[in-house]
Amino acid sequence: MLEWMSLLKDPNVQWIVLGSMLLGLSSGVIGSFAYLRKQSLMGDALSHAALPGVCIAFMLSGTKSILLFLIGAAAAGVVATFGIGFITRNTRIKQDSALAIVLTVFFGLGIVLLTKIQHSGNGNQSGLDKFLFGQAASMIRSDVITMAIISIVLVGICTLLFKEFKLLSFDAGFARGIGYPVAFMDQLIMFLMVVAVVVGIQAVGVVLMAALLITPAVSARYWTERLGVMVVLAGMFGAFSGFAGTFISASGNNLPTGPLTVLVATALFVISVIGAPRRGVLSKWLLRVSVRSQVRREQAVLQFRGEEQSQ
Amino acid sequence: MPKSTAHWNGTIKRLFHVVLIISCFTILYACGSKDSAGEAAGTEGKIKVTTTIGMITDVVEQVGGEHVVVTGLMKAGVDPHLFKASEGDINKLDQADIIFYNGLHLEGKMIEILEKMARKKTTIAVSGNIDHATLRTGAENGMDTEYDPHIWFNVKHWMKAVESIRDTLVEEDPAHADDYKLNADHYLKRLQELDAEVAAKIGTIPEQSRVLVTAHDAFGYFGDAYGMKVMGLQGISTASEAGTKDVTDLRDYLIENKIKAVFIESSVPRKAIDAVIQGAAEKGHELIIGGELFSDAMGAEGTTEGTYIGMVRHNVDTIVNALK
Amino acid sequence: MCTDPLTIDNLSVAYQKKPVLRNVSFSVSEGKLIGIVGPNGAGKSTLIKAALGLLPRLSGDVSVYGKGYREQRKLVGYVPQRESVDWDFPTNALDVVMMGRYGHLGWFRRPGSAERTNAMECLAKVGMADFADRQISQLSGGQQQRIFLARALAQDAKLYFMDEPFVGVDAATEKAIITLLNELKMQGKTVLVVHHDLATVEEYFDWVMLLNVELIAFGPTEQTFTTENLQQTYGGRLALLNRDAAASVITSGR
Repeated sequence: MLEWMSLLKDPNVQWIVLGSMLLGLSSGVIGSFAYLRKQSLMGDALSHAALPGVCIAFMLSGTKSILLFLIGAAAAGVVATFGIGFITRNTRIKQDSALAIVLTVFFGLGIVLLTKIQHSGNGNQSGLDKFLFGQAASMIRSDVITMAIISIVLVGICTLLFKEFKLLSFDAGFARGIGYPVAFMDQLIMFLMVVAVVVGIQAVGVVLMAALLITPAVSARYWTERLGVMVVLAGMFGAFSGFAGTFISASGNNLPTGPLTVLVATALFVISVIGAPRRGVLSKWLLRVSVRSQVRREQAVLQFRGEEQSQ
Repeated sequence: MPKSTAHWNGTIKRLFHVVLIISCFTILYACGSKDSAGEAAGTEGKIKVTTTIGMITDVVEQVGGEHVVVTGLMKAGVDPHLFKASEGDINKLDQADIIFYNGLHLEGKMIEILEKMARKKTTIAVSGNIDHATLRTGAENGMDTEYDPHIWFNVKHWMKAVESIRDTLVEEDPAHADDYKLNADHYLKRLQELDAEVAAKIGTIPEQSRVLVTAHDAFGYFGDAYGMKVMGLQGISTASEAGTKDVTDLRDYLIENKIKAVFIESSVPRKAIDAVIQGAAEKGHELIIGGELFSDAMGAEGTTEGTYIGMVRHNVDTIVNALK
Repeated sequence: MCTDPLTIDNLSVAYQKKPVLRNVSFSVSEGKLIGIVGPNGAGKSTLIKAALGLLPRLSGDVSVYGKGYREQRKLVGYVPQRESVDWDFPTNALDVVMMGRYGHLGWFRRPGSAERTNAMECLAKVGMADFADRQISQLSGGQQQRIFLARALAQDAKLYFMDEPFVGVDAATEKAIITLLNELKMQGKTVLVVHHDLATVEEYFDWVMLLNVELIAFGPTEQTFTTENLQQTYGGRLALLNRDAAASVITSGR
């Protein structure tokens, strides 16, 4: 216990914990909506699409500015969402295939650009590959402030527009019918996802970001049938993953924080799948067992009564 | 008859696709070989040498002089641990008469291709003639390779590499052996002076301040040879990612030992170092970035730092200025 | 004329060059229960969706109580086809019904106790008051349909569009729905229903619209629901059975 307390007083640990928790919170919240709209893979597509954005930003500017990289990643994300929308609207390809196509094409392009940069003569270029896996342990105060602002805005928008997002995700046709600007709201949710992804890839990297978007939301789904509770739970699961991941990483050497955060989120998922009341595997099995034994008992009683009467 | 025309159309379509695919491959192949055709002109009579890291490129140019034409695969700022040879690079290796590489697993992702090349032509690891007893083990630096491959930071080791290159050139091209030996002698003399210069400069740093902290454990040999303690944030290979404890451990160590400055490198990201510095600042200990060092790669081509001697000098001056 | 609940003028809709609706024009007067029938692909659902602005139209005007649809959204209620929704969504029956009030709430405002009470009343009207906090995936087809209906009631509209509300529901639910629709009619509301079962048209609707890409006929059921109009709409794919002088109609080969 004491060790944990002293860890919390450590400034670097504080930054990493706060940053990871805020990241987990935002990802969980916006990930819930993505999951319910069957756009979980979108988070993966967006984070993979960020790679060429970062590379192009570097190639154009020649410097390693985080702000420029984030702008590049966001721009690439936006282009990717337009591409996905375009493909689904104008061809016979369904959304999951469109997502996979955009994801792989963008990521492949990103790797090509990364290799090209590696081979060019610019003495400044390394560090771009850190975007692949992230560097959560390198968070500093300014990162925490950025994440805090973004989290507040994101959670704020989701709270303000909660009923609008709920209706949009449940029955878009009806939403349009009562006059909601459905296309705009679609893009807004997408934009929030881009923001969460772009901020998150610095911490957990392109490859793992999708996990933070999907896993807490899916885990939360197992525990409740109410959307509001689900979103809050997802945010909490995400935040807890960041918290626990950082602490585990702080307990030993060579334990990278980002991947550990994802592992904690996964562990929460496994616990949810197995242990959640009503939807969990264990509880469904127990229910089945109890119903079966109840039916058997009733049958036995009936049989007994039947024998009684025939005597 | 409709049936046969439909069949005919189907065949034509298939034929068309086959022709299309074949022409695509032909074009790609032609593009590939056009590259090498351009290089061949203007280099007749000289020995073609392909090298991996810039430090080797520099030495080969110094020793080989006008008798060789050198192509270095890894340019400034490239990380040799992570470098993967592309199609173009493999071509350059193929075209070479001699290949020089560092060895000891520095070019970690090129091992297979170098082995392949070794079967076809003279492929020399310039670290080959260094006595293994004088090498640092990988374990000392927390690496999983057998030995620490960053040998160039001990000038005396690098002198051995020069000798290895000289001997190979002499063997392959006895006609110009005298030139090679002369060039090598000159260069070795300059390296000898460099070695002494480095030792002297490091000596001016007060003893308790002789700690070199970088984001990369590549300076082990430097520390051993010139009496500095080296501490890095990650293992030597830049493919690994730092964990929370790694960051806090380093920061605490720096604070305890009252280190004044840390050094960043051209081939590794700055963020990890920034986190350590800011953390130390929170704890009331002032830590600055002493400057940028060259670790796995040299500076831009054409600058002083783009040569081996220039790079070493730059590193030493930067270190001494910050820690004095 | 200007205060008719719905006036459609020369509406045409196409889907990838194929015309789905062609020059459809009609006017609906208040307090009527109107059934829209026609073969598959006749454009019945399309008519509703185009009128609501859910599908793009090639030409034509839609006016609701004299004004464009956009300004009159609060006056229009819509019950879509049941498959258009993911029933595993984490929400309960009451929640869905409350969504009917969102149009009246406007942006940002949360539904409060007034909306909850209203929703409970609507649930009661469709006989689903006991199911208020049941998760929607646990409801049967008929119950889900009633929830949709309750939601439309909550919209408190004057003009209702319903897209095949009787599909896949049990007899009890069907009876409950038609009773409710008649109540709406009594209140002076207008209801347009896309209907699939020709056998019940005469029983349920006082006006009927026969549609097959073009508007074949529109008027009071007795006069419009004739054999020849039906033959024209369904293109001769009908078999008619006459039982006790009340014509039962069977279609074949849809």
